[in-house]
Amino acid sequence: MENPHMQTWRSVLAVATLGAVLAGCGSNDAPADETAAASGPWSFTSGNGDVVKADKTPSRIIAHAGEAAALISFGIKPVGIYADEPVKTDLNLKDLDLTGITILGEEWGKIDVEKAASLAPDLIVGDWWPAEKAYSGLEEGVDEKSKKLAELAPIVGVSQGESIVDLAEGYEALATSLGAKVDDPQIAANKKRFETAVTAFKAATAAKPNLTAAGMSPTDEKVYVANPKYAPELLDFQRWGLKVLDPAAPDKDFPYWETLSWENADKYQPDLILWDGRAYKDTLNAEFGKKQPTWFEIKAAKAGAVTAWPAYWLHTYGDFATELEKLTTAINGADENIGN
Amino acid sequence: MRTSATNRASGLVLLVALLAVVAFLSVTQGSRSIDLTDVLRALGNLGDDGTITSTVTLELRVPRTLVGILAGAALGVAGAILQGVTRNPLADAGIMGINSGAAACVVFAITVLGIQGVSYYVWFAFGGAIIATFLVYTIASMGREGATPVKLALAGAAVTAGLTSVTSAIVMTNIDALNELRFWQVGSLAGRYTPILVGVAPFILLGLVASLGLGRVLNGLALGEDTARGLGQRVGLTRAAAFGVVAILAGAATAACGPIVFIGLVVPHLARFICGPDYRWILPYSMLLAPIVLLLADVLGRIAGAPGELQVGVVLAVLCAPVFVGIVRYARLVEA
Amino acid sequence: MTLTLVAVKATHRRRTVRSLAVTIALACVVAALFVVTMMVGSFRLTALQVITSVLHLEANPGVDFVVRGLRLPTATAGLTVGLALGASGTIFQQLLRNPLASPDFVGVTSGASLAAAGGIVFLQAAGLVVCAFALGGALLAALLMYVLAWRDGVSGYRFILIGIGVAAFFDGLVGYVLSRARLTEARQAMHWLTGSVGQASDQELQILLYALPALLLLAIGLQRHLRALELGDDTARALGTRTELSRAALLGTAVLLVALAVAVAGPVVFVALVAGPVANRLLGPATGGILAAALVGAALLLTADLVAVHLLPVSLPTGVVTGAVGAPYLLWLLATTNRKGAGG
Repeated sequence: MENPHMQTWRSVLAVATLGAVLAGCGSNDAPADETAAASGPWSFTSGNGDVVKADKTPSRIIAHAGEAAALISFGIKPVGIYADEPVKTDLNLKDLDLTGITILGEEWGKIDVEKAASLAPDLIVGDWWPAEKAYSGLEEGVDEKSKKLAELAPIVGVSQGESIVDLAEGYEALATSLGAKVDDPQIAANKKRFETAVTAFKAATAAKPNLTAAGMSPTDEKVYVANPKYAPELLDFQRWGLKVLDPAAPDKDFPYWETLSWENADKYQPDLILWDGRAYKDTLNAEFGKKQPTWFEIKAAKAGAVTAWPAYWLHTYGDFATELEKLTTAINGADENIGN
Repeated sequence: MRTSATNRASGLVLLVALLAVVAFLSVTQGSRSIDLTDVLRALGNLGDDGTITSTVTLELRVPRTLVGILAGAALGVAGAILQGVTRNPLADAGIMGINSGAAACVVFAITVLGIQGVSYYVWFAFGGAIIATFLVYTIASMGREGATPVKLALAGAAVTAGLTSVTSAIVMTNIDALNELRFWQVGSLAGRYTPILVGVAPFILLGLVASLGLGRVLNGLALGEDTARGLGQRVGLTRAAAFGVVAILAGAATAACGPIVFIGLVVPHLARFICGPDYRWILPYSMLLAPIVLLLADVLGRIAGAPGELQVGVVLAVLCAPVFVGIVRYARLVEA
Repeated sequence: MTLTLVAVKATHRRRTVRSLAVTIALACVVAALFVVTMMVGSFRLTALQVITSVLHLEANPGVDFVVRGLRLPTATAGLTVGLALGASGTIFQQLLRNPLASPDFVGVTSGASLAAAGGIVFLQAAGLVVCAFALGGALLAALLMYVLAWRDGVSGYRFILIGIGVAAFFDGLVGYVLSRARLTEARQAMHWLTGSVGQASDQELQILLYALPALLLLAIGLQRHLRALELGDDTARALGTRTELSRAALLGTAVLLVALAVAVAGPVVFVALVAGPVANRLLGPATGGILAAALVGAALLLTADLVAVHLLPVSLPTGVVTGAVGAPYLLWLLATTNRKGAGG
């Protein structure tokens, strides 16, 4: 690859030695386990179309939150993670064992590039966002310092698009190229479970051809109805046969949702409500029924036909399978005739 | 021209009538179009018969209108008192750090205690507002001169600056809190129903009644502290009492609706324009004018934003911005 | 007669010596802080390593990446923004004859915030464009306040009250802007609004680097001119219009300085407020040195950034730390200020 940063990457190697000699901080951890994987040459086509090449398969990886979760699920442990919020609360990371991984950032826009350099990474992994034309954490508006992360090592990622499955598959391909044993029964089990979950989901929707669903997010002031066009996981559900309704009048300046005032909360009458998973708790439906007099004007809400929808860019087969299984149960228990 | 007491009193009666009309508008108009007959039937039955029209009318619009009336009155009166006591025509609750105090406490509730929902924010916002007012007043009272207008304004600005940077530092690491905060801090009447109404009504009513006794004192203070002292007023004491009333009124209103700025600033000037500089009249006029303006803005927002709604804070910002510039330009800022 | 003259001259010389000594000492402190901020971090470096790398005396790719790539831009931003804020603050305070009349409280900073947030949210602005918006917003806000506060000249008291009112108004509007944004853009705007010296891009820094010396020299020149006029009261009055013009020019320079600083680092409060009075305390009778105040500003900001980034367990925005430093000072100032708010 034409590499304008080669100079920098070499200097980063120098930084790593420097760190060891001068202060001894950072790179004390054992050298990356250079098992059979660490051969080469290596190449990967990133989400923006660039083909990234290296002489040796990268083994010291710094990854963004959900992307790190994806790599970990294939048995590849990054040396560093940067996230947009504390890793304890990040929905993609909160259940993972992160011991031995250096946390380089827990706030959007702020990445500790010095600490990152001390890890001597040879690959950075972050989703590619086609609309922003940037990798996760390096978008416009972040600290100028943070952007220098990209100077430490080549950066690759899977493009965010119209399907969450693309993300899982993309990171499977990346992990494979990095030497992950994706056929290892333990690792492959997740994918199997996911495939079974999809089959079950399709069967459930096929059994209820008239079932309609809507992605919703009620708040104290308004009700938000999700526009599937901008929610890859809802597009996946549609592909698999669930009729996720398209709001008639998405907000003009922000078409991700149609916002309804509480007076008009009953505008859509789906049979099943998919509740934004970022805010979902089992008790919320009853709570909203109590505090918002019109929430139960939605018949599905009144009947308790409510389930969580993962509106936060799942990256792994395992997580997606778990969510799909819950959804399938909800679909199986739903009544096609509650709404209209 | 002399405006006689009778004229002013009949003006008040007129305003009461106007408020009734606007309140009726607020109950009949909304983002959902409901036939007038249905609204009247729901009002007549005075019980929710289970239809959506009656639910929207009785459980959404009526409490919301009442919250609007109370919060509006509270903000208008609080603004009038503040302008009188600080002799600063640009004073309102926001300048006293009340909004930033309330916001900081709400963010604390969201991030540290994990609480979400407007009905829970009420008490945190109330507490935060009271603490911030107390802080600002204490800081400004330090030193020999006591709480002079400039010191009050600066103490307010400084407390606001400090609290705001803490608040924004917290929400930057918690995107859900940022999302909650940015909607809360615009100020809105949407989603404010009976529980909130019942919660804040006693405080606001108490504050409003207490405020009516302040008219004469404020008239004295308006002549300057020395004159007021000469008239036998205990300036420090009255000032503290006035701030107590402001903290309760603005705190409760902010707790109910989030920080609604501008109305407390603009309405007292409107009142002064109509009834002259006598605070015994400015206070009741502000008490009636402010809810009229607030409800009108809210109705406008409900109609203009259908099927969603515009927050009342946004509508007020658009309406009040030119008025604000006018006030700044022509207001008599006391030259000390 | 001659004796008095000699005495006056002696006092004058003593003042000059003191002011020179203080300024040089401050410059040394700032230079030291500048180097120290580049020594600490994930890698400890020696002062020698930092200096040789900054001056390109020796090529060591590792050190160069850390020093020139990562630390130098932040340190430079801290230095220049601090200088600009310190100078601007003291000019405001002197012209408006009030130690509380700092540009971060009288609406200039708020105007910049509103314009920047609006640009990010409504026009998807980023990078230099945000910087330009902030600059424009600050200048417009200053102009607006000047127009609003003008009544046969600008009185300090009026200006402050109006400034605070306008600032509160702008801050309210910032809230509305944030509520109209997508969440990601609200986050970007909020990030800008927290203010930090680490967010500046190289181009933004360059603009400030080029403008700063020119503006500082201009300000010092204008101040000297005004001082000379003020020595002879009658002369000054006779030349009244020209004085007013010089004053306006000096104020304009100060506004430009603070606007550039905010455009580069976002709103960082309290530095402009504190720098001038601290410098005056150090200078003793020779008060009013713009250069000294600028240096104090730089020292404050570099220290605050050191504390914010390296000493605290969690990394806080620079604005929070400068606030923590500035707040007690402000309290003291309010406590000792006299009735007109003009003491201190």
